[in-house]
Amino acid sequence: MARKILQGWAKWEKYINAFLLLVAVVFPILFTRPYLINVGVMCLIYVLLSLSLNILTGYMGITGLGWAGFFGIGAYTAAILATRFQVNFLLTFLAAAVVSAIFGLIIGLPTLKLSGRYIAIVTMAFCEIMRTLEVNLDGLTRGSRGIPNIPKIGFGEFNFSRTVQYYLILAIVVLTMIVITRLMNSRVGRGILSVKDDDIAASAMGVNPFRYKVMTFAIAAMFAGLAGAFYAHYIGFIDPTSFTFDQSTIIISMTIIGGLGNVMGSVLGAVTLTVLPEILRPLMDVRQIVYGVLMVITMLVRPMGVLGGFNLRHIRQQMGIGKEEKARELSSTEN
Amino acid sequence: MSSVVLRTENVTQRFGGLCAVSNASIEVREGEIVGIIGPNGAGKSTLFNDITGLYTPTEGKIYFYDQDITGKKPYEITKLGLARTFQNIRLFPTMTVLENVMLGAHCRTKANLLDVVLHTRRNKKEEQDIRERALDILRITELYDFRYNYATSLPYGMQRRLEFARAIASNPKILMFDEPAAGMNEEETQDLNVFIKKLQDMGYTILLIEHDMKLVMNICERIYVLDHGALISHGTPEQIRSDPRVIEAYLGKEE
Repeated sequence: MARKILQGWAKWEKYINAFLLLVAVVFPILFTRPYLINVGVMCLIYVLLSLSLNILTGYMGITGLGWAGFFGIGAYTAAILATRFQVNFLLTFLAAAVVSAIFGLIIGLPTLKLSGRYIAIVTMAFCEIMRTLEVNLDGLTRGSRGIPNIPKIGFGEFNFSRTVQYYLILAIVVLTMIVITRLMNSRVGRGILSVKDDDIAASAMGVNPFRYKVMTFAIAAMFAGLAGAFYAHYIGFIDPTSFTFDQSTIIISMTIIGGLGNVMGSVLGAVTLTVLPEILRPLMDVRQIVYGVLMVITMLVRPMGVLGGFNLRHIRQQMGIGKEEKARELSSTEN
Repeated sequence: MSSVVLRTENVTQRFGGLCAVSNASIEVREGEIVGIIGPNGAGKSTLFNDITGLYTPTEGKIYFYDQDITGKKPYEITKLGLARTFQNIRLFPTMTVLENVMLGAHCRTKANLLDVVLHTRRNKKEEQDIRERALDILRITELYDFRYNYATSLPYGMQRRLEFARAIASNPKILMFDEPAAGMNEEETQDLNVFIKKLQDMGYTILLIEHDMKLVMNICERIYVLDHGALISHGTPEQIRSDPRVIEAYLGKEE
């Protein structure tokens, strides 16, 4: 049964993705209430965060417990540049991604020789250090007063409407998904998976595990920074409380519950865990219980997450309907 | 005389007080099949790990075609042209059979992040080339029909063969097999025998560690015998068979 569903999904993946994209595109047209569009934007920001962490945790197998740290770096970079130097959002986005990736390198280079669980603790500490810095580097970050009046996304006096901003983050998310898919279906992606599976064997086959870990860490941090930049401009106000360990926990829950090593898993996890609290709002404190129960059930039933570990390309190949197979058949009939 | 592919010079490996390998000097010439035998715990795998860069020898030097490779990292050594398999099979479980072999060609390919993300022509061509090459290797190793299965879903004997295929994909000068016949039955060992001969005919130089005496005596041209970390004998299979020191190491001293 489960296998049938999986095969169906693999077979129709293109159409399913197109349909989901269509739903995402018409959403702000059908639901014009600012509140709903706002929920949509928050969903997409979390999808981006969850995707970025999935690169590290799902594909590379390194548990990143302090992911809000990089989210914060991106947000503060963008906010500082935009408020003090009136830099346009295109450049603040770019700067946030680059700065975050550099921080990824700074953290990664000395620590990624450690084994998995120790890196997890390092990232956790990193998040805490970043929060402390955000609170105490008053001259740069205005400390706990936060940075208000961050310019909205737009050009000069012209600001994008909420709906246009929604489409912007949607475009960023789709692009990120394409990048991750291409990355993982390539020489580089095979290198990443091999290091996750068995770094000694990978090393014996010519892959430099350390280099791959550092590279993956930086790429993942880059996307988290991008999410931070969008968040800062969109909300217009940031302070250190947005980038705490609690936030990190939410992000990693999304990645794990949705599915490790699966792009759609991140979408499922992020959307579910963003929408659920909104729906359960009337339940007040009880929703935390619902949240917890959901997590426990997922961990028991599918430890890799709901969509974790599914590789649709492999399933298509096994069914004999892979893209490469078709190309081969075509070329063999031509000859 | 053909040139020396691999040479170790007085390699010694100590782990704390334990001397796993002491003063081992071996030599493998182009086109040869050389075996290293010895009882359990003789230091065979340790020597292998020294050569392939998993360990750095405490003393001594290792040369690959006159190039000093002592203390180099495994991936650097593989790139030079030395590929190995493992005693306890180490395949990549989340990758398919085909992808495992394609990964073997990692150090012979160049596509970088930018190529991959932008889907450049160079990347597409390279990807297609290694795919074709991997499929060829899978045909040779008779794993073609299983190319899309997950590596660890294969039966044991095939997993071994997949490890060979993966090593071959790196286009090595010398192949190093760590107990290739471990866990195989008579028939599978016989197939392996034929397969290794085939590899030799294809021009590969082979160094192997083995317990299965029949296999070693059948295919190796020269054999080194290790016992308690030290080389105790060296020669052709006939010489080894009749060497009293070897018999003693394996069967114990005659009272």
